[in-house]
Amino acid sequence: MYPFGALPENLVSFCALLRRDYGFRIGAGEMLDAARALDIVDLSDQHAVRSALRTVLAGTRDDAAMFDGAFNRFFLSRPPTLDHDRRAALPHERDSGPSGEGEEGPRRGRTTEATVAEIEEIRGEGLGPMTPFDANEEEGQAATVAGASYSPLGVENSEAPEVSEVNDEWVAAARVLVRRVQLGPSRKWRAAPRGRRFDLRRTLRASLQTGGEPLTPRWMTRPKRQPRFVVLVDGSRSMSQYAPTALKLASALARATSRVEVFTFSTGLRRVTTDVQRASTGKTHRFHDLASAWGGGTTIGACLTEFLRRFGARLLARSAVVIVASDGLDVGGSDTLRAAMQTLRRRSGAVVWLNPLLDTPGYEPTARGMSTAKPFVTTFSSVNDLAGFVRLSRTLRVR
Amino acid sequence: MMDAITIRARFRDRGFIIDDAFATALQIALALEKPLLIEGPAGVGKTETAKVLADTLETRLIRLQCYEGLDAMTALYEWNYPHQMLRARLSEIEDASIEEREAQIFSERFLLKRPLLEAITEERSPVLLIDEVDRADEAFEAFLLEVLAEWQVTIPELGTIYAKHKPRVIITSNRTRELSDALRRRCLFLWLPYPTLDQEIAILKARIPDLSERLAKQIADLMQTLRGLPLQKAPGVAESLDWARALMNLHRDHLDRQAFEQTLGCVLKVHEDHAVVGAHASELATGLGESSESLQSGGYSLDTDFGFGSVSKKSR
Repeated sequence: MYPFGALPENLVSFCALLRRDYGFRIGAGEMLDAARALDIVDLSDQHAVRSALRTVLAGTRDDAAMFDGAFNRFFLSRPPTLDHDRRAALPHERDSGPSGEGEEGPRRGRTTEATVAEIEEIRGEGLGPMTPFDANEEEGQAATVAGASYSPLGVENSEAPEVSEVNDEWVAAARVLVRRVQLGPSRKWRAAPRGRRFDLRRTLRASLQTGGEPLTPRWMTRPKRQPRFVVLVDGSRSMSQYAPTALKLASALARATSRVEVFTFSTGLRRVTTDVQRASTGKTHRFHDLASAWGGGTTIGACLTEFLRRFGARLLARSAVVIVASDGLDVGGSDTLRAAMQTLRRRSGAVVWLNPLLDTPGYEPTARGMSTAKPFVTTFSSVNDLAGFVRLSRTLRVR
Repeated sequence: MMDAITIRARFRDRGFIIDDAFATALQIALALEKPLLIEGPAGVGKTETAKVLADTLETRLIRLQCYEGLDAMTALYEWNYPHQMLRARLSEIEDASIEEREAQIFSERFLLKRPLLEAITEERSPVLLIDEVDRADEAFEAFLLEVLAEWQVTIPELGTIYAKHKPRVIITSNRTRELSDALRRRCLFLWLPYPTLDQEIAILKARIPDLSERLAKQIADLMQTLRGLPLQKAPGVAESLDWARALMNLHRDHLDRQAFEQTLGCVLKVHEDHAVVGAHASELATGLGESSESLQSGGYSLDTDFGFGSVSKKSR
């Protein structure tokens, strides 16, 4: 479906589609680059056009992965509302003239668009993806809007969790938590007004201002090592009530320190650090990317194993505090969970398990998943409100 | 101006096999004079791309290796302090005025050019490789943005230096950290995945011409299987090449179980991965051209190392 006649309009509406339905970040600069790129490549070669636009418009791996689908949908698919009587009208239309490339032809409606798509299909290959031909603009727009109804992100918005505003008390508690992790000095040396080591290089540099006489001594010190926090939030349906609080905790941490990584897991693992950082600066509070990870059962062991394999090497160290927020209702095998928890414990400074059910009177952590994981947890707690967070920030222990 | 087909052919001449999407991305990056950000798993040839590109364009490669704690001065320029001190001392006996002595001390002779300044002052536009940018911190990224946008550097003592020719920039990242949106927006983006089976065979044959057809196919085939396993460190193309060379040195013309075990160190770099490969032995058996029953006699039969990576059962 080529919604518009000429190439620039097609490009603009393609960019609009990417922005709206796929969450791409495309500004005027990218669009200009895309136009310049199309100037360079061979427009009749579909693969060249596709790779060129992908290079310019996609910014991350996820973007690049989604791009092909969007490209097919916009340039190669027929309109979504093609029904039988229009198909029936097809042979007649095809006989009536050239396949719609006539620039001077009368304005045609949606039927023509369908026809062109059909003819392309019969030919076995598309026209050049950017071949401009005459189509009704309004129809094109209508088709694009109709497309939004099956957008991969739009559907589950109602289920996407929302994080209420992170207020100063939460941030203050997060700061206490960060400070509580005492790590000692790092190995690096850094210039400081009062330090432990004489800085010959800077002293000499400063002496140039005083005619080569080293009058002002300079010093170096070792900066403090910053702890890293890894927050893993259970996104299963049983946790849907508590997960926003866990994400709020993560947002508060993200405001207190920059070394925070946040993941959600249910049946698969998902990195949401960027969303949390955005939420913590107050730009958005709804986690759109999270919608599809939300709901369903949890395989905690498998997800933790996946986390260890993909991110373990670069995120975990003795300076890392792992916070798992889950009710421990696991549908996976307990061997996997035990092995994962063991590794997690061995490779991090502390494993904090936040179980929202702990506040429930009479609750005992006897569920299979929870009892498997418990021996490897250093701090077992619950954070359902600010008081819980403050309590955690005062009781956290790091080896 | 080179088009995608020419780039592909020239890369092929240098033993570097790339696909159409990659060639088009390079073509556009060269034409638009924008940096190309290449992301992908380790060992797929991100750094090599820049080297081959410099060779293809017959220009210099200037490399800035990023690391934690890299600061602007190390990347841009530094004054040669000892040299300046010496000159200041020596010129005390001269009758020159303070201004003259200052001009002497702060001249280009005493300037140590670091990669970014070097790339700017180069006569022919070089290929600037900013390697593993994710290892540097956010502050450095912001500084990099400024340089990439303006292509000028201000040295207080000397004035502003403008680029004579815009360098062609390749930025690589291993995704240990998410890069800022601002940097991404200024770059063109390319995701470089592991090569497909046919690509890998072509790469092996291009880089090691003496390699037999059968061995190349076996290695590529096994690599595809290995990358499908849940390894901590999946082997890249570099590992394939190492492996092929190792087998050539052992005068093997095909892979069997014994050769596989002897040379597994070329491919797997983490102890735990050996256990993973042992557990999936049956999947690898077809690649080694044997039936799965014969496997039980040897190989890694490690059940558990209790998560410590230090206890291992006897393998036989």
